[in-house]
Amino acid sequence: MRLGFPRPSLSTFSPILFHANPGRPNTCSSKCLIQPKPQTPLFLRPPTHSVTLSELRKWQNWAKTLASSVGSNFIDADNSPDTILLHRELNWLIEDALENPKPLLTQLGTDCNDEGMVMNLRAELGDLYELWKRRIEERRPFQYVVGCEHWRDLVLSVEEGVLIPRPETELIVDLVTDLVKGDHGELREGLWADLGTGSGALAIGIGRVLGTCGRVIATDLSPVAVAVAAYNVQRYNLQNKIEIKLGSWFEPLKDVKGQLVGLVSNPPYIPSDHISGLQAEVAKHEPRLALDGGADGMDDLLHLCHGATSMLKPGGFFAFETNGEKQCKSLVHYMQNESKGSFCDVSIVSDFAGKQRFVTGFKARPFVNNLHTSCISS
Amino acid sequence: MGMAVAAQSVLKWFVSRIRRNGSSSNSTVVSSTSPWDDDHRFHSRNFTSIVKLGYPTRNQGNNGNGIVQRIWFSKYATATATASGGDGRQFLGMTDEELMRECDMDTFKASGPGGQHRNKRESAVRLKHLPTGVVAQAVEDRSQHKNRAAALARLRTLLALKVRNTVDVDAYSPPQELRQILPEKSTIRGSDCGPQIGPNNPKFALGMQALLDLIFAVEGSISDAAKKLGLSTGALSRLILSDDSLRMAVNELRTSKGMKPLK
Repeated sequence: MRLGFPRPSLSTFSPILFHANPGRPNTCSSKCLIQPKPQTPLFLRPPTHSVTLSELRKWQNWAKTLASSVGSNFIDADNSPDTILLHRELNWLIEDALENPKPLLTQLGTDCNDEGMVMNLRAELGDLYELWKRRIEERRPFQYVVGCEHWRDLVLSVEEGVLIPRPETELIVDLVTDLVKGDHGELREGLWADLGTGSGALAIGIGRVLGTCGRVIATDLSPVAVAVAAYNVQRYNLQNKIEIKLGSWFEPLKDVKGQLVGLVSNPPYIPSDHISGLQAEVAKHEPRLALDGGADGMDDLLHLCHGATSMLKPGGFFAFETNGEKQCKSLVHYMQNESKGSFCDVSIVSDFAGKQRFVTGFKARPFVNNLHTSCISS
Repeated sequence: MGMAVAAQSVLKWFVSRIRRNGSSSNSTVVSSTSPWDDDHRFHSRNFTSIVKLGYPTRNQGNNGNGIVQRIWFSKYATATATASGGDGRQFLGMTDEELMRECDMDTFKASGPGGQHRNKRESAVRLKHLPTGVVAQAVEDRSQHKNRAAALARLRTLLALKVRNTVDVDAYSPPQELRQILPEKSTIRGSDCGPQIGPNNPKFALGMQALLDLIFAVEGSISDAAKKLGLSTGALSRLILSDDSLRMAVNELRTSKGMKPLK
């Protein structure tokens, strides 16, 4: 996918490799004026480095060997990628690094006669060695290596400091799509919010299914996430539809209180004790800010739930991602008791792996509430 | 009528669509032998069939005259399943959304907590078509969303290959979708069919299904089928050989009947 987005200057290209410390120093407060510069994903960099087929093949063989040396060690350690998966990632890396990957991927796989053939790469060959070494030895997530993640039909820029969007979360966009399809305009043309947007995945996914008047405000506490989300919004040319704001949860939304027709979030929900036991790609490299949901993982979910009562319009929709069945149930329980009468049609929705993953529902309308006092328990 | 009410029904539909099918204990897994090497088709490692005999379908209850359908599975005896809501032709005529509604979708590495716990690569998708038990899967794309689309396309081909409709051999007249894939020299093709549709066209699956229906009805005899289609035996053979999956389906039938495979 090549979108008409002006390429940043070459000076922004180096960090994909030399960003040694994944935990970006987060000294910026929400009033921070210096905006971090988002990195350009590998596949969007200019193909200015030449390499011969034989040199590339030599790198590929080295990289394959390194991936094979892993065997099932990663799986045994923390249920992480195996060699098959790493080989698949290697092909994706080549796909992103080459100017014209299709025919060359085929040639790399065959005994090609023209070993001296020159091709164009989007990074120096030396960088590819270093990138793959870090993938294997430091367990740096593949998505940070190539600077992007394929999510739904989008290719989103990601970098250290921004949560890599998960396939489970794709489903929230499906939920919203189905919802606005059957709607007479109130939801489709209204104001939505994606809180803790990270790469902007949910905001962009939803922004693309709303009508011409539909808008999304996406917030994030992390300045890096805000910069990356803004970059992604611009790549999909949605800057007129989606506004990215820096700040914690509802804080940047004070002026639209009670006006939201939809509210979605994939907040941090992992219990603090569990973080260190996560697979190395996640625990060592992804931002703790986006993962750690406090002692029982529910801190932010409860905060969202509480805020939703005043931020949503009556009839407005919400969908929150959770850690699983336990959190789903306790969130529903909270809605039935602590915020009794505020919501209706509260449901637990499973992800594609069959895990109870999302809690969805609607802000109650006063008259509906009077007629059906029990609707919360449906 | 508030939006909440309308939305609720959509959500309920959605929830039922993604509801996971709990019982899989009585299913048989059949690995395919098809080395579909074309990029746009599938490799055998991606392709599994789950055969569920007498599988009760979700819609069965309300349909008084559920059509009994013969479903043919590679390497297994002919199975009979009750399919409601129409026949195999109808499945293929459905939109993606309608077809998806008849499927359970599954991801592979369903173990573990998922979500934020994992650096994904659970992008692989498996679709099980509930009325027939046919399963299609896709693993090779980087996004789950795209794997779902690929799996759905494969499911269409598999339904064409595996779901057999009965045909009346004596009064046979090939349906439009079959005539469209016949070479133009066919004497019964007619002028209303336009140019011949090849294997890369999405409409080929429907024609392929009708062709297999006929070949099964004449028990694998290419010359008998060719007569019904106004073609020479050689011309029909060439058509069958033009598509790997079609060729393999025909050859598996012929082998099971003690006939020589087409080459």
